[in-house]
Amino acid sequence: MKHISGYFSSLALLLFSLGAFAQEQPADTTVAVPKTYRYGIRVGTDLYRLTRSLYDDNYKGLEIVADYRLTRKIYLAGELGNEEKTVDDNQLNFTTNGSYFKVGFDYNAYENWLDMENMLYVGVRYGVSTFSQTLNSYTIYQNTDILDTAASNNYFPDVTVAANQEFTGLSAHWIEVVGGVKAEVFDNVFIGFSVRLKNLISNKKPDNFDNLHIPGFDRTYAGNFGAGFNYTVSYFIPLYKTQAKKAEAAPKE
Amino acid sequence: MKKTSALFTLVLLVAASFFGCEKDDICAEGTLTTPSILIEFYDRDNTTVPKAATNFGYFVEGMDTIKITGNATEIRLPLRVDTTSVKWGLILSTPVTGQDPILNTDFLEFDYTTQQLYVSRACGYKTNFFLTQGTDSAPNPLLTDSPDESELWIQEITVDKTNIEDENEAHIRIFF
Repeated sequence: MKHISGYFSSLALLLFSLGAFAQEQPADTTVAVPKTYRYGIRVGTDLYRLTRSLYDDNYKGLEIVADYRLTRKIYLAGELGNEEKTVDDNQLNFTTNGSYFKVGFDYNAYENWLDMENMLYVGVRYGVSTFSQTLNSYTIYQNTDILDTAASNNYFPDVTVAANQEFTGLSAHWIEVVGGVKAEVFDNVFIGFSVRLKNLISNKKPDNFDNLHIPGFDRTYAGNFGAGFNYTVSYFIPLYKTQAKKAEAAPKE
Repeated sequence: MKKTSALFTLVLLVAASFFGCEKDDICAEGTLTTPSILIEFYDRDNTTVPKAATNFGYFVEGMDTIKITGNATEIRLPLRVDTTSVKWGLILSTPVTGQDPILNTDFLEFDYTTQQLYVSRACGYKTNFFLTQGTDSAPNPLLTDSPDESELWIQEITVDKTNIEDENEAHIRIFF
């Protein structure tokens, strides 16, 4: 949870900076500066997965993010990633290893001043992942609490099985709803944060085990729902520009 | 714009609530996990009438004895998940007025095979047991008396279910 609250405070900062950009503009914009729109491709990486790979021994991951501006408000967007994650729960220890690809659209709802290019957006993605699960070990759940002693004291000792069993050829498909912000911090350099709600469409599970973690989808719950986020830094490569018509020049206060 | 911001906030809030429940890793009570053998006691003279055993005790050699205070018409015997045979000692207690109760121990040895089945993230795996088919010369469970006693208190054993997969119905009936 500590990490999570950290991300949300960063998000608050981001939102705040968007507001600050807006306020920098003089209230009185009588000079009709034709607004220009830059089109191009923006490529970046997820900092969360990158940094977590450094401090968490049970995690290795990389996500490349990219978007391409189609119209003034709509972007073609996608993520490509690879993840290896070991989960050590009370009863289970397993490793998920695989790759994923997500593609979809972002809709920018933020009205930028002049030629600023910040984003407050919603979007959708279609996600596909292929992966393997390795069941490293498991402890058999015995619920023979028949001794009048301490709680959950099984009669026979716990048995942990070093299964070391690999299930390959697994896959999952899902859709995501995305909400996020992107702010230009230097020329052409953007930082962004997004949260995602996910719903599994198909999930090829191993025999006598489950996909408890899916690369790109993250943790699975009892149903089909999931959630995630990323925290990106990206670079914008401009390709061409358009100019607004005079009628819709600089927006008024 | 307003609609989009509202949707954005909603997505954010719902996602945040998901992060909040990361640690629901407790196997819920009532989940069907590793079953025990359910044994019911019946009257040897009137075989359809359940019979209660008073202050019954049971144990595996070298381990603690489980004592049931009061009357019991059924007991649950766990099986070992890491072996294929378990020998339970069953202690029948016969009250004697003014004296200590008379204890009589019989042994039941169960032979079985096991199967590990996935349950859930929180519960992990459970083990189901399958009692091997007994014969006249080698019954399963095998009933033996304790060395220092002359008489078996168990008169008859009926195996109703050899697949130990749940505890809904009795697997074994004991008549005494």
